[in-house]
Amino acid sequence: MNTKVVSELVKIVGEEYVSTRVDVLLTYSETASMAKDPVTPGAVARPGSAEEVSQILQLCNKNKILVTPRSGGSSLQGEAIPKPDGLVVDLLRIKGITLHKELRSVTVGSGITFGELDKFLNQHDLWVPVAPESALICSVAGNVAVNGAGPGSSAYGCIAEMVLGVEVVLPNGEIIQTGSEANPNAPGPFLRYAFGPDLTGLFIGSLGSLGIITKVSLKTYKRMHQFHYETYGFDTAEQSEKFLIEVKNNDVLPMFASVYEGPVLNFFMDMVGEEYGIPEHEWPHRTVSMTIGRLREDRMKSDAKKAKEICEQLGGHVIGISELPQGEWEGRFWTFVRTCYIHGWHWRTLYHHQTPTNSHRSVEEITAAMDEHGFLGHTAGFLSGHSTMNMYPHFYFDPLDKEEDHMIRAAHDELAITLYKTGAVPFKLAEYWKGRMEGMEDYMKLLSAIKETLDPNGILNPGVLGGI
Amino acid sequence: MTEIDLDDLMENLAQCRRCGICRDAVYEDMGFDGICPVWKNTAGFETSFMRGKLMIAIALLEGRLEKTSDNTEALYACSLCGNCTEICAAEFDPKESLELVRAVLSDIPNEVRDTLAERILTTNNPYVTDKKGKRDWVAELGFEPPTKADTLYYFGCTAGMKLPETAKAAARLLKAAGIEFAVLEDEPCCGSVMIRTGRLQDAEENAKKVLESIQESGAKTVLVSCAGCLKTLRKDYPEKFNLSMPKIVHFVEYFLELVKSGKIKLKPLGKNVKITYHDPCHMGRELGIYEEPRDLLKAIPGVELVEMETNRRAAMCCGAGGGLRSYDPELSKKIAADRVREAEETGAEIIANACPFCEQNLESGAKLIDSSIRVADIVDLIVDLIE
Ligand SMILES: Cc1cc2nc3c(=O)[nH]c(=O)nc-3n(C[C@H](O)[C@H](O)[C@H](O)COP(=O)(O)OP(=O)(O)OC[C@H]3O[C@@H](n4cnc5c(N)ncnc54)[C@H](O)[C@@H]3O)c2cc1C
Ligand code: SF4
Ligand code: SF4
Repeated sequence: MNTKVVSELVKIVGEEYVSTRVDVLLTYSETASMAKDPVTPGAVARPGSAEEVSQILQLCNKNKILVTPRSGGSSLQGEAIPKPDGLVVDLLRIKGITLHKELRSVTVGSGITFGELDKFLNQHDLWVPVAPESALICSVAGNVAVNGAGPGSSAYGCIAEMVLGVEVVLPNGEIIQTGSEANPNAPGPFLRYAFGPDLTGLFIGSLGSLGIITKVSLKTYKRMHQFHYETYGFDTAEQSEKFLIEVKNNDVLPMFASVYEGPVLNFFMDMVGEEYGIPEHEWPHRTVSMTIGRLREDRMKSDAKKAKEICEQLGGHVIGISELPQGEWEGRFWTFVRTCYIHGWHWRTLYHHQTPTNSHRSVEEITAAMDEHGFLGHTAGFLSGHSTMNMYPHFYFDPLDKEEDHMIRAAHDELAITLYKTGAVPFKLAEYWKGRMEGMEDYMKLLSAIKETLDPNGILNPGVLGGI
Repeated sequence: MTEIDLDDLMENLAQCRRCGICRDAVYEDMGFDGICPVWKNTAGFETSFMRGKLMIAIALLEGRLEKTSDNTEALYACSLCGNCTEICAAEFDPKESLELVRAVLSDIPNEVRDTLAERILTTNNPYVTDKKGKRDWVAELGFEPPTKADTLYYFGCTAGMKLPETAKAAARLLKAAGIEFAVLEDEPCCGSVMIRTGRLQDAEENAKKVLESIQESGAKTVLVSCAGCLKTLRKDYPEKFNLSMPKIVHFVEYFLELVKSGKIKLKPLGKNVKITYHDPCHMGRELGIYEEPRDLLKAIPGVELVEMETNRRAAMCCGAGGGLRSYDPELSKKIAADRVREAEETGAEIIANACPFCEQNLESGAKLIDSSIRVADIVDLIVDLIE
């Protein structure tokens, strides 16, 4: 990178927090993602405040330097891979947690992880009930930037539903506050849809391409302590799908409800069953593993009773193995990471959302692709909102086998088209969706226009948000 | 001769999925309040914690990164504390892999590493260039332990040369308990730092020398007061060098047994003396010795044991290990200061520990932040308490 720009960066954040060392740049060339090849940036800066971020973006705009915002670097779909000779802005130094107890909300700096936030809120017997499975790694802001989902989403939806406002630095360096906090006289974050259209929402899921989030305000809730863990077995996919819809329709509160195909669950259990203390079982065609959570015990018990009734009315049966959902829920900050890696295989993912009633279509298409191309993998999903399933297929490959690597990439891209045609929508509008969403040209044009308006020089993570 | 299976190592390194959980996971349920002390106490670039270190290691081994001292800096800016291994969800041991990478890349110049090794090989200690001084403390004991006995006190370089009071206390403790013990005339260094910094073959030669010396003493039990010596003699020698060792026991384990069996009784240390215990990485995460030191402290009348925010398997490191104290003394002391702050938060008057190397660094850390907390080896605490 141009040495003049680097010295300007040094002036902004201090020498200690800028690096152009070859070893440092190498470590920012990749993330947890296996979706894209590494790209070496030209410099990395670690600003300590929104003001520093603002100055950095002004400098980059002036010098047409491409910027990649980065937090935990845990994204899996190539969202934070830098541009050649670009600047990576590492946002983990911006800390701070402010609780607004009376407003039932909390504000965190972009460097705060879900793990830190949860520990902080626990002291007050509060929580933000939604967190991704990468909660110990990613920042809340990073997760908001991708509109993540995870345990808790089955009841409350994606992280977007928790957000009351953001402080965001626009590509031109302007610092904007959204939500009720836009009013400098407001006591804090209490309403997201405060001033006309949802500007907060513009930045949620924008993959760092419309602005850099430096603070996030979120809803807090009284922490639940009443949980019921149960597994429900079904002979058909349709029964299990209907079960999830009826659970939601009947106001049962599933904090986390996963649906597993029999063979997939048997496969998981071969790997982790013993480690997690889950009894051996011949799992049925479909299993729903569900954690019901409530603040009050009577409601938890009533929900559990209702869920059993719904299951049996649909022709399913209560399996009675509570260790699976209990392990998923109680270990939600770590166990899933372990499950992702315990088998030792490398994998690519094609995250997407389906409706519960359509989730079997994802399974069918993914299974068909696995058969056609001859690779191993699986898919499972969890309820991630009002009537959404978050599907997280894993396609295994050997990174040293170039042919297999190539084949998996091709199969992945093909599947994006197929899944979209089944009615699925992206979970994170990553670059590979570009050109694979027929009939959405006008929508993408609008998104491009927004991008051009906010970022006329196209400096902020260009090409990442669906190719924009 | 120790051979490293490079394919095996590469396969292990490939198990790192760059998830990044080893950076600063705060996970109340498992007791983690941050992971990597180097990340926390430096500018915090990716190179500072294990994910980045392994990316660099792979690039160096694959020839994608030039093999220069500068490019290996990140590999050595690590205390090998193993906290990352403790949280890592993947199917390998990142800390152990990094240690092996250092050995594979030991042809890349590193003055600190080589100076330490040369000293150990020529003068039996990593600290000075002559042999003098390591055994001076014996002269101050008031009695002369033999050089041969069933029980050997292998005192280690740090106690012998940097904290002779601890070495003396250990010897007096043994005498007070009526245990006949030997001290070697010319005790070789255990070579821990050579293993950690990648001079593996020299470490193996040294290990054979250590074993020979122990055998010459006729000892059936070797008592150590240093966690580093303990891990090296008890675990590394058999596992890495296939050496068959006599029983290696830490003072804390040994004296806890004596207290439990009633063979020794301890007088009160004072009234409601608040003590917190720092887990040395080599004793805790490496060997799973968590409760023995705590039980021994709790057995001292008048002691109230309080825990730091991170303890046992999730304990933050003192910053001394893995060659870091020599490689980057400033960073090492900063890490120690951080640990001292954590101890201060408990309201304890004393940070007890069971490793002179940790003690030395914690003292430096305390000095750095003008802390008045007392850093003391358990041995020092109990030496005057035997009834
Ligand atoms: C083992 C594992 C499990 C996972 N499980 C889940 C899961 O359950 N649910 C889920 O949603 N995700 C999951 N992920 C993916 C990943 O953790 C999430 O996408 C996470 O939210 C990324 O956050 P991060 O802080 O790591 O951001 P990064 O990876 O650094 O960046 C992600 C994107 O956000 C942008 N960005 C980062 N910070 C900011 C900011 N402050 N302002 C603007 N843009 C920014 C980046 O430019 C990039 O586009 C998982 C990942 C792993 C490795
Ligand atoms: S060492 Fe383990 S915890 Fe760290 S990034 Fe690699 S896989 Fe994740
Ligand atoms: S061993 Fe300790 S110091 Fe080294 S990378 Fe792991 S956590 Fe950091």
